[in-house]
Amino acid sequence: MSASTVAFSDAQLAEVRRLQALYPDARAALLPVLHMAQETFGHISLEAEEYVAGLFDVTPAHVHEVVTFYTLFFRQPKGRHVVAVCHNLSCHLAGAPEIIAHVMRRLGIGVGATTDDGRVTLQAVECLCACEHAPMMQVDDRYEFGLTPEKVDQILEGLR
Amino acid sequence: MPKLTINGQAVEVPAGTNLIEAARKVGVEVPHYCYHPALSIAGQCRLCMVDIEKTPRPTIACNTPASDGMVVWTETDRVKETRKSIMEFHLINHPLDCPVCDQAGECWLQIYYMRYGLYDPRMRDEKVHKPKAVPLGPHVMLDAERCILCSRCVRFCDEVTGTGELGIFHRGDDSEIGLFPGKELVNKYSGNVVDICPVGALTDRDFRFAVRVWYLDSTASICPGCARGCNIEVHVNRRRPHHNEGRRVARLKPRFNADVNRWWICDDGRYGFTFVDDKTRLVAPSSREDGAVSDATWEEAIAAIVGALGRFAPAEIGVFASPKMANEDLWALRRVLEQCGIRRVAFRVPPPVPGDEDTLLIRSDKNPNSRGAELLGLDGDGAAILRAACVRQVKCLWVFGHDLLASAWDPAETDAALRALSLLIFIGTNSNATSERAQWVLPAAAWVEREGTYTNFEGRVQRFRQAVEPLGQALPEWDILGRVLQALGAEVGAPRAERWFRELTSGVPAFGGMSYQAIGDTGAVLNAPSAGQPRSEPASRTPLR
Ligand code: SF4
Ligand code: SF4
Repeated sequence: MSASTVAFSDAQLAEVRRLQALYPDARAALLPVLHMAQETFGHISLEAEEYVAGLFDVTPAHVHEVVTFYTLFFRQPKGRHVVAVCHNLSCHLAGAPEIIAHVMRRLGIGVGATTDDGRVTLQAVECLCACEHAPMMQVDDRYEFGLTPEKVDQILEGLR
Repeated sequence: MPKLTINGQAVEVPAGTNLIEAARKVGVEVPHYCYHPALSIAGQCRLCMVDIEKTPRPTIACNTPASDGMVVWTETDRVKETRKSIMEFHLINHPLDCPVCDQAGECWLQIYYMRYGLYDPRMRDEKVHKPKAVPLGPHVMLDAERCILCSRCVRFCDEVTGTGELGIFHRGDDSEIGLFPGKELVNKYSGNVVDICPVGALTDRDFRFAVRVWYLDSTASICPGCARGCNIEVHVNRRRPHHNEGRRVARLKPRFNADVNRWWICDDGRYGFTFVDDKTRLVAPSSREDGAVSDATWEEAIAAIVGALGRFAPAEIGVFASPKMANEDLWALRRVLEQCGIRRVAFRVPPPVPGDEDTLLIRSDKNPNSRGAELLGLDGDGAAILRAACVRQVKCLWVFGHDLLASAWDPAETDAALRALSLLIFIGTNSNATSERAQWVLPAAAWVEREGTYTNFEGRVQRFRQAVEPLGQALPEWDILGRVLQALGAEVGAPRAERWFRELTSGVPAFGGMSYQAIGDTGAVLNAPSAGQPRSEPASRTPLR
């Protein structure tokens, strides 16, 4: 991605300034601005991190800290859908390893990868705060509970 | 000022003092990794837990300000148990690298594990592996597996240099210290992150696998790299010379001085000592006649200098003293000049490019003792001396250390001046283009090979001590000049640096009343009027008597 493709519009820049003004420390607006960057550029490339750093007067290293800390920031282009299976304690005990293995088999990709047709990106993530429904996963912005291989197949079928 | 008790000892500390510093005041060490007095509080390592009466749980000492009536215990069973668990936690993913880790022997993981460790580890899982031997920049090597994520290095780059290159990326047990991809750690103080890293995660590339630290001896010294005069330790490998291909000085480390450099030194100073064991070192007096160089004895060399001083009229002799010489050397030189009535003396030779400067430590004057040379009255006009040489008013030139041909002065004019001379005498540690032109070349001992004092730009007189023997036949300049004085028939006392300093203190009022003992390890400030002030106007010059 060339540098020129990583730039917000004037309206977005105004929004950045508005967000920054909301907090006593302007850096607190880093998260919403990174979300804007992800929506605008598809994913957050290193160039995008440097660009955002420039908007905040922080070093690129500190933006990289934030982007790598959160699993919902994508540093590579992601698929049209994101399947994030929880593999934290409760889900693990309730069978998350089998669920993840099943999804991998079905999609033919490993964790962290995207299908060749750009349809699905698979993630294994830490606790999503739904232990009572373990094993669970997040598909785009909805939660799917009480997973079984059959239920997973059904869900994956629905992703186009 | 809050009054509290720590392990039963009463102590009063300024408001805002944290419990680590308060405990230090009564001689109690609270173990810690992430806390550093120069940096903000991170509260990251959790090792500094102490018990405070009326507080239900052990509390981190670094982030707890002392308050009136506080009763603190640092060695309760609960605190010890906590430390043990925290040490266990820090070591879960730590590799078994001690046998190949440069930090071994001065590693706080080793030190605290020996004191507080579990000794019977319970971890049976595969450790998390991370990148090893990653060069972060020209000076620093990262081993991410050894990192305990204390964030000291990150805070150093954020808060001290303001460069913010380092970050902690990812999270949980994947957390990893690093740089923004494609960037380098190239700030002027990068070596300091190696010093403050409590473990072997950041090590010095220049010191990599060079020598085990327990073979090193340490000598208190002063960095000669610029007019700041940072306090340093010279670490010398005397016991295993074969381990480092004969390099005698293994490394320089900063030495804390609250009034000069605090905990830090710059990279130029830290790595600027290689000239000491360089091939260009001068190791024996030598003379050059019709292009042929032959070694000489010190007796012959001194006789040649004394002969020249007699042969030329004082006005025909020009002297370039050096702001890299110690106060003792400059005083001995001043006595020679007075003895002979020589008045053409200067010490400033403008560098080809002006030195860099910043607001932390680095001074644009790359000499440790310009202030001393000024105070000793040696601040004449160097360009005028060269001009006088061109027209044969000056026929004999005596140069200490400088390479006149590598200065801001026009090399062609300097060359013409040197060509017009009848005699060029050079005294210095290393050869250069100017020494190559000299008829007499005398080897001087490098600063780590002798003792003496420098006066920094703020007027602080600081001692450096001898860490290694002089190379070959090299001698300190005060010694060479003392021999010259003696041959000139002057009274000269015992050949010791300290004696020259004592003489200087009675000769130059600004130094009056000082002694090596009073200077000690932290330095002493010159007498008023200019004492302790950064020099904004030209310092008063003591004229040659
Ligand atoms: S590299 Fe060293 S100083 Fe930096 S966070 Fe790790 S242990 Fe601390
Ligand atoms: S700032 Fe000057 S004195 Fe200090 S370490 Fe650097 S060169 Fe040496």
